Amino acid sequence: MFHNVTKVYNGRVTALDHVSFEIPRGATVALLGPNGAGKSTAIDTMLGLRKPTSGVVRVLGMTPAAAVAAGQIGGMVQTGGLPDGAKVSELIALFRQLYHGSRSQADLLRLAGLTDIADRRVEQLSGGQTQRVRFALALAGRPDLLFLDEPTAALDVEARRSFWQSVQTIAGQGTTVLFATHYLDEADANASRIIVVSHGRIMADGTPSQIKAYTSVRIIRFSTATPDTSALLRLPGVNDVVASGDAVAIRSGDADATLPALYALGGPVRGLEVGGGGLEEALIALTGGGAAGQGEPGGRAAGVSNSSDMTRVG
Amino acid sequence: MIAFLRFEIVRTLRNVRFLIMLIAFPVLLYLIYAKQQGISQGLTVATLLLVSMAVYSGMGSAMFASGPQLARERHNGWMRQLRISPITTPGWFAAKLVQSVLMIIPGLAVLVVLALTYGHVQLAAGRLGTLVVIIVAGTIPFCTAGLVIGLMFDSQTAQVAQMITLLVLAFLGGIFISWSSLPSGMQTVGKLLPSYHLAQLGWNAAAGRPLGMSHVAALAAWTVGLGAIAAWRWRQESTAA
Repeated sequence: MFHNVTKVYNGRVTALDHVSFEIPRGATVALLGPNGAGKSTAIDTMLGLRKPTSGVVRVLGMTPAAAVAAGQIGGMVQTGGLPDGAKVSELIALFRQLYHGSRSQADLLRLAGLTDIADRRVEQLSGGQTQRVRFALALAGRPDLLFLDEPTAALDVEARRSFWQSVQTIAGQGTTVLFATHYLDEADANASRIIVVSHGRIMADGTPSQIKAYTSVRIIRFSTATPDTSALLRLPGVNDVVASGDAVAIRSGDADATLPALYALGGPVRGLEVGGGGLEEALIALTGGGAAGQGEPGGRAAGVSNSSDMTRVG
Repeated sequence: MIAFLRFEIVRTLRNVRFLIMLIAFPVLLYLIYAKQQGISQGLTVATLLLVSMAVYSGMGSAMFASGPQLARERHNGWMRQLRISPITTPGWFAAKLVQSVLMIIPGLAVLVVLALTYGHVQLAAGRLGTLVVIIVAGTIPFCTAGLVIGLMFDSQTAQVAQMITLLVLAFLGGIFISWSSLPSGMQTVGKLLPSYHLAQLGWNAAAGRPLGMSHVAALAAWTVGLGAIAAWRWRQESTAA
């Protein structure tokens, strides 16, 4: 449960702004957003590494501290280093001993793809190998709930694929997984639900296909002598029109249909630009920010979370 | 906690260069000065210096075993990883303390062997045993000092802070130069330091004099005080960040 959580750093920077969500057990959920959106703050808060300025966080029905002490959650945090002088196998053995009912050493080495480098010392590992060791540590206690904060940042394509395969194996065993990423593709391929965050707020919350629909939003800008806003609004695909002087910005969910219709109107259209696509633009579309004005974007994703609904994780 | 302690010891022992550097300096000083003739505080120079160097080596090993490493691992994120594991705070502190106490043993052993052979020090087994116990137990406040430094400073400055602290403790505590030859202001400060009290305990033990409970009390007070600071910093870091 993540209820109405606000996190303010140093009394100035608001990393989370009245965020609420709930994740049912067994789900695999992505927190998707650009850098600085508040994803890591949310995950750190659920792991008990940070205290919310206000609001309530519950994981598996407990406080994060209690869940950590009970060994029921595992996490890969963004800056999780490893101690010098230790071997990979020793680190994993240590974490296995810290938890009851831990996974076997061989399973952990295999799941994280570390079997060949078990005898290496930590300081000899590459960035990607370090990240895989941290994955093994997160899995050691067979957690009911697993947090992964940008888990594939240092991994190459091949390692990424086997990483997500392992995550799917674990999710298949009933573990709830919440991961943060700034790649829509990664969220789409590996999560059954995507929560989009930006500037510390939840922008959208839905299935991957619902979220992806936003990336088809285009912003069409042009100049015309006398913009007829109401005619433009009737064009196919158009959600929103903002005109100031002779400059017009149209937000369209189907630019392929909008553009021919726009020219068919017959007015002079100059300096036409079509922008959009990608997560950033989808976020702009969702937030209603940007040059196209403050209008409410048409058709928000299912279950857009306003700040007050009660939520629960796991 | 035992698993964690074993893990910490194994990886520290692997750093052989670090261990040698810890021991080298006091051993070198002993080799240079132990042959000097003379009696001070009822002890031969070779015996007096055994105590001084054992205290110095103990302080250094105890502080370096925990401080800079802890600062580095707070910085690189290992401590965050540990905080989200079920290891408890008291368990972590206890393991760190035991680890730093154990770290002083190699240096102490080398110095004792050197004193008995090269220095021709003649100490009754009882006195030597008391001395060893005092040095081992008496370094606990320096272990907590190492933890405080590791929790207060970042990875770059912890090393320097540690070095300065160690030198101040050694000079003002009367370990490198006789305490009575210090200017009176420094004597006053020196007399408050744990290094002064530990050295006094050590010399008393070697000379067979009463140990002096005030020294024991002072060391205990330092342990409690520094332990409280470490616990406070620890809590601050886990809640405020």
